[in-house]
Amino acid sequence: MEFSELIRTGRAQAELLRGPEAPPLRGTLCVTSHHLLLSPGTEASPDLWLLLLRSVDSIEKRVAGDSGTITLRCKDLRVLQLDIEGVEATLDIARSIEALSSLESVITSFPFFYRPKGLRLGDAWHFHPPERYYQRVARETNAWRLSEVNEDFSLCPSYPRALIVPHSVDDQALARSAGFRQGGRFPVLSYHHARNGTALLRSSQPLTGPQKRRCAEDEELLRAVLVGARPGARGFIIDTRSAQAAKQARMTGGGTEAKAAYPGWKRLHRPLERGRPLQESFVRLVEACGDLEQSMDRWLSRLEGCRWLAHVKEALSTACLAAQGMEREGACILVHGAEGTDSTLLVTSLAQLILDPLSRTMDGFQELVEREWIQAGHPFQLRCAHSAFSHARPKHEAPTFLLFLDCVWQLGRQFPLSLEFGEGLLLALFEHAYASPFGSFLCNSEKERGLCEVRTRTHSLWSGLNQPKEQRKLRNPLYALNPLAIWPSVEPQSLRLWQGLFLRWTRPPEPSETAWEKVWQIVTDSEKTEGSA
Amino acid sequence: MVGVSSMASASAPKCNSHTSENEPVKSTSQDGVNCDLNETVPRLPGETLITDKEVIYICPFNGPIKGRVYITNYRLYLRSLETDSTLIFDVPLGVISRIEKMGGATSRGENSYGLDITCKDMRNLRFALKQEGHSRRDMFEILTRYAFPLAHSLPLFAFLNEEKFNVDGWMVYNPVEEYRRQGLPNHQWRITFINKCYELCETYPALLVVPYRASDDDLRRVAAFRSRNRIPVLSWIHPENKMVIVRCSQPLVGMSGKRNKDDEKYLDVIRETNRQLSKLTIYDARPSVNAVANKATGGGYESDDAYHNAELFFLDIHNIHVMRESLKKVKDIVYPNVEESHWLSSLESTHWLEHIKLVLTGAIQVADKVSSGKSSVLVHCSDGWDRTAQLTSLAMLMLDSFYRSIEGFEILVQKEWISFGHKFASRIGHGDKNHADADRSPIFLQFVDCVWQMSKQFPTAFEFNERFLITILDHLYSCRFGTFLLNCESAREKQKVTERTVSLWSLINSNKEKFKNPFYTKEINRVLYPVASMRHLELWVNYYIRWNPRIKQQQPNAVEQRYMELLALRDDYIKRLEELQLANSSKVSSASTSPSSPSQMMPHVQTHF
Repeated sequence: MEFSELIRTGRAQAELLRGPEAPPLRGTLCVTSHHLLLSPGTEASPDLWLLLLRSVDSIEKRVAGDSGTITLRCKDLRVLQLDIEGVEATLDIARSIEALSSLESVITSFPFFYRPKGLRLGDAWHFHPPERYYQRVARETNAWRLSEVNEDFSLCPSYPRALIVPHSVDDQALARSAGFRQGGRFPVLSYHHARNGTALLRSSQPLTGPQKRRCAEDEELLRAVLVGARPGARGFIIDTRSAQAAKQARMTGGGTEAKAAYPGWKRLHRPLERGRPLQESFVRLVEACGDLEQSMDRWLSRLEGCRWLAHVKEALSTACLAAQGMEREGACILVHGAEGTDSTLLVTSLAQLILDPLSRTMDGFQELVEREWIQAGHPFQLRCAHSAFSHARPKHEAPTFLLFLDCVWQLGRQFPLSLEFGEGLLLALFEHAYASPFGSFLCNSEKERGLCEVRTRTHSLWSGLNQPKEQRKLRNPLYALNPLAIWPSVEPQSLRLWQGLFLRWTRPPEPSETAWEKVWQIVTDSEKTEGSA
Repeated sequence: MVGVSSMASASAPKCNSHTSENEPVKSTSQDGVNCDLNETVPRLPGETLITDKEVIYICPFNGPIKGRVYITNYRLYLRSLETDSTLIFDVPLGVISRIEKMGGATSRGENSYGLDITCKDMRNLRFALKQEGHSRRDMFEILTRYAFPLAHSLPLFAFLNEEKFNVDGWMVYNPVEEYRRQGLPNHQWRITFINKCYELCETYPALLVVPYRASDDDLRRVAAFRSRNRIPVLSWIHPENKMVIVRCSQPLVGMSGKRNKDDEKYLDVIRETNRQLSKLTIYDARPSVNAVANKATGGGYESDDAYHNAELFFLDIHNIHVMRESLKKVKDIVYPNVEESHWLSSLESTHWLEHIKLVLTGAIQVADKVSSGKSSVLVHCSDGWDRTAQLTSLAMLMLDSFYRSIEGFEILVQKEWISFGHKFASRIGHGDKNHADADRSPIFLQFVDCVWQMSKQFPTAFEFNERFLITILDHLYSCRFGTFLLNCESAREKQKVTERTVSLWSLINSNKEKFKNPFYTKEINRVLYPVASMRHLELWVNYYIRWNPRIKQQQPNAVEQRYMELLALRDDYIKRLEELQLANSSKVSSASTSPSSPSQMMPHVQTHF
């Protein structure tokens, strides 16, 4: 496909308004295959302004007289306004942006063309293979093994090639269990809690169906988990749907584990919002945050009406439940909802942050995102196709990953010293999940990434972020290793709107950034003097 | 699963200490703490134990706990007698606003007979006592006597306190020095001692700054036309453009629309201190309906026809009664149980943050007018000692970075609140048993809340930390220090407060490190405009909900410790840098131009520290 067919006009004179804080920019506007460029064209300010077209969420055009206005609402929640000379030019540019920003083909997307200086292809792609996490588990226990039963993705298209499973369960049994689970997502190890040998597992729902089918191998697998942990160990299955919804799922072939079939396991239902309602909550919140006209007497009830903070609370408390089950009750935990690719991952990844100090380091957190979200098959391409501004009818969009980032931000706010990374990293992950020059968040699964050769033909986000020049923005200068579990308070009084994200473009960011810079200065200055002394 | 329902709070200690201020324990131990057998009850010099009694403390979070309560002439101290609980709390009696008996001699049911104590700092204490032997009557009477000493002709504890500090907080504020810092007197403004004996205005300080061109006789005539004689006087002057903030009370216009030539002339004289100015801006803090309603009781506001050269705006801030009810509603939703299901809309229905927003918005307008050089500003409400104090002090905090240092803030409070007659005694009710008095109102708390909101939005702008603000609020009620006692300077002078009591600033300034913000960056000319939108205001959870162990911010000690480390690092850094600079200046001629040379770093560092 030729991009040039989609570019209806090369260039136009325009003025760009970037919100209340930044001064307007004037210059020549230019649409390329992947970017919108504005070159000021004066010697005084030679800097080029650049916008990845992929990050445009919605576009609105208006013409009046002999000029036009284009409003771009971006996936990172920024709102930009372009005043363009010439009606024709305005319409052409708008159409070009519309066409180019909504291309669905992965292999023509920008990451396949992005070749930044200083980075080599394939550099960071081997940072976080499942094998690496397995090595850590193997040092802690021999109850688990690495299985390559999914080598060719035939068992489960959304799982990675290698998975960590109970040592005593062979590949054949895994295959049977996979046949009994939606999308083949049989129970696998998500996190081994070395302190007391308990395990956190995840899967999709069992396909019990209206006939209440059972699967001996699936039952055996979960029995083996308990035996491997400790003789007499108990387990809890946390179903992220309501009991009602889980029961209803039987009519469409799904369901939940029958009590009698899984001795030692007890089922708990903790309904978490997902899919369309979650997306709508996100859209309502962004709308409320952007509505500067509205009388502010009603802000708090409007914020409450968006329900976003309620979702944060539910996600965090369910993660606390899982973590507490392991840490305090010494129980193994299996988490699943229906597909096991959304709220399931939300709970397992947050539970690890609560329990595991390693996952709170810069490296550990990147590994967690890579392992529990990207490789675990969260369908980023479907979920993050559009952000909160799109007029298109949402199909598969849902801000599950953003909800995860928000929960992590709440943890960081309540435990300001315990996370090695700061808000900067969370903001970067949000931006890159929705539109990125890097390949990490492309596609929906490892299988698809393999087919598109993402790993060999694009750069990994982690190599981009781990460049020294980025560190000051991303790291928490106050970090001090905290070996304990961090139990967040989930009372509504303890949770806050993530202003740094949702009000990022409507507030002056300067004070908090100054503070951040200030802390860095103190820390690095003192290190410098340490060094020179 | 056991404990699942409470798992979110699982990290909180079973009972957290209710101690509001632990420091005195340490400071007195050096002087030799008095010990009762094996029990150590902290005691300040001058503090005496009155009684102790076994009680059941009905903890709203963890249920009944057996304990022993000690009552001194300063505090109520409770120690748990149960082995699995470390509960201790330490409540200054001044914090108590009301003591009620619950249950009667014939009450049945466990723990239904006892005392219910309402505190001024957003909590209640409940004790159950044995029904036999008048045990409750004794405790009730002793508590009433010492919590409300004024009703029993006893002195407030501040007059008995014999604490010694190595810094004298009473020396912090010297009005002449403060005005000199502002560049006063100058050609336009003079210092007058007309109120030396508080004859012009009983509730004003002895020393006032007024326009040079207004004679003392003019002032006397203006006083007759201002509510309680609180004439317009200078609070702050801009160092460059010389615009001023002037404060006063409402004019006595009344129903008939009285005018007073002297008052009109006086305001014009104020305007003319800036020659180029065509209008003086008057901010009336009240909602316009209230200002109009005040005419019925002889008050009112400056009308356009009478004051040609002034422009008046209403700032819509409600009166003390509205604020009191609003805070009451906040308490209802946070103590003892926090409202869970509709937290944000419940919070909204208290209107507390909305009031905060209006106060901040008003102060921003005052600060902006002055700083932009558009106009001088006159601020008043009805009597000019509540909303007016909030507006002038907050505007000054925005305009003048000096007030954002620890001592500067103390001076600000001492000047705009204490010396200008904010009626602390009436608003707080120190030692007074009349808890329902209509004069009570959390106006000063609301001001401190506004300061906290600003410190959240500008994390590097203030030298002090959150603990500083909370300590001030704790001692607003405690009656341990003389700082907030009585209603005005004349009353304080009569009672010789500065001679007979200790200043709160003595405690704070002799222990400054504890109250410092490690991220403080001194900036001389920066005007702070906080965002006063509801989106950016928060409930001050660490103050209003601090008694709830489930809401407690996590690891406060660790954070504080890390901050202290940072402070130490910073000081160390500055010291080393000075050494480097010294070493460097000895070889001045060889000063290199490489960017990493210390001589190049110095100016940079100086602006930042």
